[in-house]
Amino acid sequence: MKTRLLSLWRTLTWSWTPISEREAGEAVVRNFWIHWFPAKVADQSFSWSYSLWLGTISLVLFFILTVTGFLLMFFYVPSVERAYWSIKDLDFSVSFGWLLRNQHRWAAHLMVATVFLHMARVFFTCAYRGRRALNWQVGITLLLSTLLLSFTGYLLPWDQLALWAITVGTNIAKEAPLVGDWIYFLLLGGNVIGQETLIRFYVFHVFIIPGFVLLAVAYHMWRIRKDGGLAALDRLESSAEIKEKAPVPTKTYSLFGLAKGTSVQVKGVDKIGEENSLFATPHLLRRIMLVFLVTFTATLLLAIFFNAPLEEAANPSVTPNPAKAPWYFLWLQELVADTTLHLGKYTISGGLIGGILIPGLLLLLAALWPFLDRSSPQSLGVWFPPERRTQNWIFAVIVIAIILLMYIGVAMRGPNWKIYWPWQNWPQLPTLL
Amino acid sequence: MVTIARRTVLKVIGQLSVFGAFLIQIGGAVRAFIPNVLYEPPKKFKVGKPEDYPEGVNFVPEHRLFTVRSANEFGIISAVCTHLGCTVRWESKVPEFECPCHGSHFRPDGTVISGPAPRPLAWFALSLSPDGYLVVDRSEQVASTYRFSPPAKEKA
Ligand code: HEM
Ligand code: FES
Repeated sequence: MKTRLLSLWRTLTWSWTPISEREAGEAVVRNFWIHWFPAKVADQSFSWSYSLWLGTISLVLFFILTVTGFLLMFFYVPSVERAYWSIKDLDFSVSFGWLLRNQHRWAAHLMVATVFLHMARVFFTCAYRGRRALNWQVGITLLLSTLLLSFTGYLLPWDQLALWAITVGTNIAKEAPLVGDWIYFLLLGGNVIGQETLIRFYVFHVFIIPGFVLLAVAYHMWRIRKDGGLAALDRLESSAEIKEKAPVPTKTYSLFGLAKGTSVQVKGVDKIGEENSLFATPHLLRRIMLVFLVTFTATLLLAIFFNAPLEEAANPSVTPNPAKAPWYFLWLQELVADTTLHLGKYTISGGLIGGILIPGLLLLLAALWPFLDRSSPQSLGVWFPPERRTQNWIFAVIVIAIILLMYIGVAMRGPNWKIYWPWQNWPQLPTLL
Repeated sequence: MVTIARRTVLKVIGQLSVFGAFLIQIGGAVRAFIPNVLYEPPKKFKVGKPEDYPEGVNFVPEHRLFTVRSANEFGIISAVCTHLGCTVRWESKVPEFECPCHGSHFRPDGTVISGPAPRPLAWFALSLSPDGYLVVDRSEQVASTYRFSPPAKEKA
């Protein structure tokens, strides 16, 4: 019965049945839905422990954010009078509006985390050397875009968190030498935060940045294939265990056979060997669906059990005490609070040092790291290779410092940004003034 | 003598004009983002009558500033932190201004005691409107010693 149904399905959806592996591979390339996969994928690329699938999880989260975000656009009104109340409506009067909002919010938090962890994975497996340096840099723009998406996103509710985040954020931009005032005016669409500012951030959040991420991710994926698949494959290829095969014509399965250079299946299958790889359909497809389902379920469960916060309506005359950025920006808040320098009669604001110079230098360092790195090809695609101990420590120390600053910001800063130890209570403050 | 074919000249003119048209269009689109009209609160505004404010430091929430009164002398100090723009609070017991965002502290004259704020809080010029209201001019910064004494009220 089952085979009967299966063959019925085949007759309905396929005009022809592949008779060889090669034909099956071509079938993948010719199918609209799956043509962007390589025909065959090396076993190593499926490994859970090598990539941790963090890139795919990030992409799934981006997809969830796009769908929930697009639905939220039907309810959210980007106006300073109505924004806050349209969020309240989502939480309390739109059926399942809370679910939509919560899922969007938690997926956003998770995406910041997984994109960062993905970057850490790529670093610790030395997967950014040589021709992959470009894709590492594309990745850095993706990390930056992810952070900007979150930043522009949490402004939209126009609650106290939103207002003070936008105030502090745009004032940091204002500290930039020479162009600061100009950027500030353009970002705000005037001299004070108001309707013009909200609509600008809104368009960035729902169109410009996600559009950019979409293009950059597409490029990121294309580059992975043109760079010869995941870095772990390079080492497999060069390892002696794989017996030389008779040379195969290097036909690519690319559209029209026009693309130059290597592509995964050429390398993967010809050099790694048929027996070390699997067909993308159904194996890769099934794996991606699994990752999708697990990620989706995780965001859904979070959304059901935890509500996205909403503070009081924006009020420019009262800053909450303490006023805290979300966790992934708290290390920056900690930095801008600690880095104002007094040199004789000159003062350099922490906004410039902690808000622009330090994060800018960190990004620059990350972007140039592939060229400073001198690890040997043996380390490519390997977790924690011994010769990279120093580099890995440098990376880890920077990350630990950032996490420490975050922890201080989240857990130890009380009213007036004073340090309180976990065993100390915050003083009771008079509410308004 | 250099000769340039008529065809080449025309081609270059044609290409430049198409390109130029693009640039003008892009320039116009960018320019649209620099507003010509700002619907913003005026820089000069009334904050109430002198007799509305008791002695000492009083917060005026709508305008994010404090009135400072001692007898018939009035000063206006900004509540906008010079670090990154949060609203500072007046802690009368200490006494000082404190910023909740990154913990800057200011003396009653606005100078920085501690914290990341790079500059003292701003003081603004004051005047009296014909109908007897204090008028603040945010565009005119003054020294922290500046005080304004409204003329004694004439009997109407
Ligand atoms: C929106 C954010 C991002 C998405 C959706 C994404 C997606 C992916 C995916 C699906 C892979 C395949 C392997 C895997 O799943 O781990 C990958 C690999 C890679 N990613 Fe990303 N990525 C993002 C951000 C980044 C960042 C922040 C970096 C580094 C700065 C980066 C650098 C790389 C590199 C170099 C590879 C090749 C790794 C290898 O050859 O083993 N990506 N990315
Ligand atoms: S904004 Fe006041 S201390 Fe940073």
